[in-house]
Amino acid sequence: MAEKEIESPMDAIAVEVEEFGEKMPRRYPRRRPRQVVPDYIDWKDVDYLRQFIPERGKIMPRRISGITAKDQRRLATAIKRARAMALLPFVSDN
Amino acid sequence: MANRTYEVMYIVDPETAIDKITKLNTAVGKLIEKEGGSIVRMEDIGRRPLAYPIQKKNEGHYVLFEIEGSGQEIAELERRMRVNDMIIRYMTVRVDEDRKKAEKMKAKRENRVSRRASFRKTEEAPAETAGAES
Repeated sequence: MAEKEIESPMDAIAVEVEEFGEKMPRRYPRRRPRQVVPDYIDWKDVDYLRQFIPERGKIMPRRISGITAKDQRRLATAIKRARAMALLPFVSDN
Repeated sequence: MANRTYEVMYIVDPETAIDKITKLNTAVGKLIEKEGGSIVRMEDIGRRPLAYPIQKKNEGHYVLFEIEGSGQEIAELERRMRVNDMIIRYMTVRVDEDRKKAEKMKAKRENRVSRRASFRKTEEAPAETAGAES
């Protein structure tokens, strides 16, 4: 059972930004990889959750992680649970 | 009452002896069965570094239980864990609802994929029989 990737119009956005050029307020290129998030996000799966935790230990914003709002909510809960059990840091300074 | 599934994880002070930890685990198992729950899975994860110090400790012995029951055994278990000073942290998560949701989503997706596949098949090669692809 292979996961089927669904086509999305996100690839077109980069072109649009280019066209408007300097007229538009500067928009930063958004990294929006379409991520396949598992149906059940396991809060114990530290290696998976780490993907969404940059250096500082914060939860990656949706803007950057590029996942759907629904998935982001589920992910945030999972990360918070993992934090409570000291599987992931609340803050990490390095 | 509908059966619920819980995941109970607790961190034991790593300085306690191993046999004491195993004793604690069996005691937890017994308590759950006495209270009417059943153990689906028990996993002694073992020593693991903590992401941040808890009670000035940098390591912990992790134990995970998966329990099925009404919820009463959880209340009792949590009460016991709170007063047990070998256990430095514990958490219970109810997982059955989220799992059910996940299954639903999976079923929905698979249904969609198979429907799409069968649709394409009939369009391209109507003579051939559409087999289950996904």
